[in-house]
Amino acid sequence: MRLHANQGGKTMLGGNFLGRAGASFAALIAVFVLFAASAAQAQQPIVIGASVSQTGPLAVDAAYHLRGLQLGVADANAHGGWLGRKIELKYYDDQSNPGTAVRLYTRLITEDNVNLVVGPYSSGISQAVAPLMNKYERVMPAPGASLPAIFAPGNKWNFQLLPPATGYLEGILPLAKSQGAHTVAILELQLGFTLACGQAREAQAQALGMPIIYGASYALPQPDFSSLALAIKNANPDVVVLCSYYPDAVGIAQALHRIGYAPRFLSETIGPAEAEFISALGPIANGIISNTSWWPNLKTPDNAGFIARYKAMFNNEEPDYHVAATYAAIQVLGAAVKATNSLDQAKMRQWLLTHEVETVEGVFKSDANGLSTKFGQYMFQIQNGKRFLIWPISQAEAKTQIPYTGQ
Amino acid sequence: MIILQLVVNGVLLGGTYILLAQGLNLIFGVMGIVNLAHGAIITLAGLFTFWFATKTHQSPLLLLPPVFIVMLVVGGVLQRLLLEPLARLGRRGELLNLMVTFGLSYVIIETGLNLFGSQYVSLPDLQTTWAVGGLAINEALVAAGVLGALISGGLHLWLHHTESGKALMATAQNPTGAVTCGIDVRRMRGIAFAIGSALAASAGVLLILVIPLSAPTADTLTILSFVIVALGGLGDYRGAVMAAIILGLVQSAVGYYLSGDAEVVVPYLLLIVFMVVRPQGLGRATR
Repeated sequence: MRLHANQGGKTMLGGNFLGRAGASFAALIAVFVLFAASAAQAQQPIVIGASVSQTGPLAVDAAYHLRGLQLGVADANAHGGWLGRKIELKYYDDQSNPGTAVRLYTRLITEDNVNLVVGPYSSGISQAVAPLMNKYERVMPAPGASLPAIFAPGNKWNFQLLPPATGYLEGILPLAKSQGAHTVAILELQLGFTLACGQAREAQAQALGMPIIYGASYALPQPDFSSLALAIKNANPDVVVLCSYYPDAVGIAQALHRIGYAPRFLSETIGPAEAEFISALGPIANGIISNTSWWPNLKTPDNAGFIARYKAMFNNEEPDYHVAATYAAIQVLGAAVKATNSLDQAKMRQWLLTHEVETVEGVFKSDANGLSTKFGQYMFQIQNGKRFLIWPISQAEAKTQIPYTGQ
Repeated sequence: MIILQLVVNGVLLGGTYILLAQGLNLIFGVMGIVNLAHGAIITLAGLFTFWFATKTHQSPLLLLPPVFIVMLVVGGVLQRLLLEPLARLGRRGELLNLMVTFGLSYVIIETGLNLFGSQYVSLPDLQTTWAVGGLAINEALVAAGVLGALISGGLHLWLHHTESGKALMATAQNPTGAVTCGIDVRRMRGIAFAIGSALAASAGVLLILVIPLSAPTADTLTILSFVIVALGGLGDYRGAVMAAIILGLVQSAVGYYLSGDAEVVVPYLLLIVFMVVRPQGLGRATR
């Protein structure tokens, strides 16, 4: 058998010079196309998706939540982005509605195909979207979720970026007791986080031997708090603990003032941390005590730089702990992306479960269920229209003014 | 003393409700127009008042006269452009009125959102609380109640003791008869909507001193106003005053003896009860 070569360019193997050249050329084109696609992909930004309560009862606090995300993304881009790619934030308004948030996150993940997600504002909305992250296997740092129940056994993909709600105002009862206070009134808005906070303070009051002489819960919207205020006045507790958001924190403080009553200690969650609180209440705000997970003087990495950049970006406004929490969420996401050198959700998740991240808010460390274990709790008091850290005592900037006068 | 304080709280709350409702009473009760933009007008005026007071550091009460006058003109223009063309359509026009004012409410709400944001805002003015014989009486609530009473009294006097007011009442009762009497019913409709809108805006100027407002709270105010107007009897000012005071007293008591949750439900429960037992409302006027 002889090989018949060079008969029309054909060989025994059935090859054809033109055919081989064509195949090689096609392969080269394919490689080029793949390379171009890869390069194009590398140029595409990393998109972080989120829903934000731009309207509705949570809008005041959620505005800070959003600004923390925006600053975090801007700072990450200023340092070259992640994986050599710029970062974009894509968000929609969930109208403070959990059902809307669930639809929006579904859209972000399945239609918008965002690379990463960050949690919404508030425990209620975070609780609604958490199962979605478990379903779609998406790492979600949750900077608006203080409710511990979200991070219970079974949760795999949600990571808490706030201290648990059970620790909010944990300092008020020991502080008050040390000043001779005895009786307590606890009021709570009927939402997951505020109820968890109220239950924790009830347990703490019992453990400290401080009788709870009045307790009530309420829902929003609530245009009139005068009856609630009258009931508190009638009970006359030494300490009022109000587990609230912004509108009710303002409304109840106003109602107490209108009824001519000032408890020895008046403490409220969330509302007093917002800049608008002091301008809304004027002198009535003086003496109110509230909680925070972040403070301007905290010795956390680049805290001063974070504050300066925030003020430069947002018209000289002071950041609050909501800003710090969402900024920390971006820091945590960035750390996981860089450490795993990928956007692989499983790898990122595994890394977050086994590592700590230093953030402006403090040290992020979670347990096996995503519950944060290392963020701190602090308390501040409004004095003469300004906020001062008063607890822990070791870090206090000012002495606690007692009693609350609202003047 | 608790009971007396509850009564004071209830009356003051009722005063706020009178302020909310009387503008709507004129438009809905007299004109039969379901103005779903009522709460939005109140809210936008309140937000504008907040902006004005924080920018100029002047008393928000200075805004009462200019806001009334501006809204008088704007209300008249809106009625002429949007609602008057529907007046000729009879019963079909009633449904279209509803839809037009529904759309108008969201235009106003979105305007408020874009201009002033979505935050809850309030002003710390008129925050003095007077101690009178052991009772606490707040300045802002008294001001709201006094203005509500002045509006009610003024409306009553105008509608029943002036020629233009009687012309408006005649238009409401029998448009055809009014025409035959030489009354310009088209002009009367414009006047009613203009004055009702102006009253709503004036209510907003004071309301921002009483409760925190934000653009999305407009719907709550609209519903509450409708409940008060319905409880009082459509177009009946004395009825609306009685309804507002009774509602305030019942809410005050329920909020104290039961809970804040139960207090929120009271207006709607009362509405159901009244629609079954006394559908014409507390007042004597019927429609």
